[in-house]
Amino acid sequence: MVNSLGEAREIFRYRELLRNLVLRDIKKRYKRSALGFLWVMLDPLLMLLVFYVIFSGLFGKSIGQYSAYVMSGIIMWQFFSQGTKVASLAFLQNRNLINKIALPKAIFPLSIVASSLVHFIFSLVPLFIIILSSGTKIGINLALLPYVVGIVFIFSLGLALTVSTLAVFFHDVVYIYDVLLLGWMYLSAIFYPVSILPGKLQALISLNPLYHFISLFRASLYDTAYLTAEHMVLGSVFALLSLLTGWAIYYTNRERIIFYL
Amino acid sequence: MIILEGVSVKYRIVEERRRSFQAHLINYLKGKRLVKHTLWALSNISVDIGEGESLGLIGSNGAGKSTLLKVVSGVIKPADGLVTVKGKIAPLIELAAGFDDELSGCENIFLNASILGFSKREIEERFDKIVDFSELRDFIDTPLKNYSSGMIARLAFSIATEVDPDILIIDEVLAVGDAHFKQKSKERILEFRSRGVTILFVSHDMEQVSNLCNRVVWLDHGKIIMTGKTNEVIQEYEAYQSGRKKDENPSSPLRKQG
Repeated sequence: MVNSLGEAREIFRYRELLRNLVLRDIKKRYKRSALGFLWVMLDPLLMLLVFYVIFSGLFGKSIGQYSAYVMSGIIMWQFFSQGTKVASLAFLQNRNLINKIALPKAIFPLSIVASSLVHFIFSLVPLFIIILSSGTKIGINLALLPYVVGIVFIFSLGLALTVSTLAVFFHDVVYIYDVLLLGWMYLSAIFYPVSILPGKLQALISLNPLYHFISLFRASLYDTAYLTAEHMVLGSVFALLSLLTGWAIYYTNRERIIFYL
Repeated sequence: MIILEGVSVKYRIVEERRRSFQAHLINYLKGKRLVKHTLWALSNISVDIGEGESLGLIGSNGAGKSTLLKVVSGVIKPADGLVTVKGKIAPLIELAAGFDDELSGCENIFLNASILGFSKREIEERFDKIVDFSELRDFIDTPLKNYSSGMIARLAFSIATEVDPDILIIDEVLAVGDAHFKQKSKERILEFRSRGVTILFVSHDMEQVSNLCNRVVWLDHGKIIMTGKTNEVIQEYEAYQSGRKKDENPSSPLRKQG
């Protein structure tokens, strides 16, 4: 692990490339559509609308501020899932470059997770509008937000490194991960309260990192009831474990990747 | 300066490509193991390239020339052997690999130069020189998809050679664009050579090789067949090549006569 510091330093040396890759991603995604960058904000709002229409009758009474609850869940989920899903193809889609020019390859999954972070930050705008318009005051817990975003970023990066590296050796990983994400979303308490889960599942949900992240996110924004030691500790531990695993998998395989692309 | 000592690179060639879990699992259960062949793309290559030297690499397809370039530029780490490279490398290998169609020429300059490891400041310092050399100032804000292939090649060449390299790696593309730009790019490479830049040049064009290189390495099936002065190696190589052609056409009149 200590040996891998050199690789990390290389990535830092290529930070201008990282910046350009993120910029490219953002420019390309929104250049062509008529509403342009507004889509980053409209997208979670439209999803909220769908969830609200379908589920507010079911769960609206047992959850206070249901729109803020759903919206925060959606946005945090999108940050994580979009980033890691796109990143699963990071090496495969950049095979042309990796085959021609020596550069620290981890920069590709890293840049994808980073652009997902940029989209996340923009989508905070509609979220704040929803929260403030429901009359909730944003409190001192907002100071927690950077930490929460930080651990989700670290967790996503670790998983992105894992999935993108494995996908080079087994293409199926890309599809398997897609399906996994779908199930994972339904287990992350995005639009329902945890209390509706049967007993056994309720115990299991604390193994779901996203559940902790989303809870902490809600705690930082509008409801301190979600701030518990369990969420803090487990959320941080999961993030660290994910990064260590992802980095180890990437680092040990980084020189083999080129022979399988 | 480039020193390769006993460098070997192997590719795994799997007889039947199994890239899915399912296939792996089924075959594992059946007790079948993958049949792997090892192809030594380079075996035990030792070359010394001094500062300011222009070395040509020749050989038929699959001889290992491009693999050797990849080893020098650091894309591939050899399975065996030692690689020492001192100096900044500019790879003129498939120049447009780092371009993006949807971005403008200007944006692509920043993207491509940062792929080569440049900081923002370094790119800004070189920006005007790159644009001037490419002669694309009027199109610099146009998306690359509206460029002709010649224009793209000109831009890529300008970026890759504006890096003040100590080592220039050239894979086939010695000159790009129209006749005028071809002349310009040739001159630039010759200028590099006279400035003492080390050049590593792969080509099938023996005329270009003898114009640019003072020493040549002839590779075949991953092994060095011959190293020496440009003329001598090229002569041997061409004699071998025409000999091979004769063998392939036993009924050709040449053979009957000679």
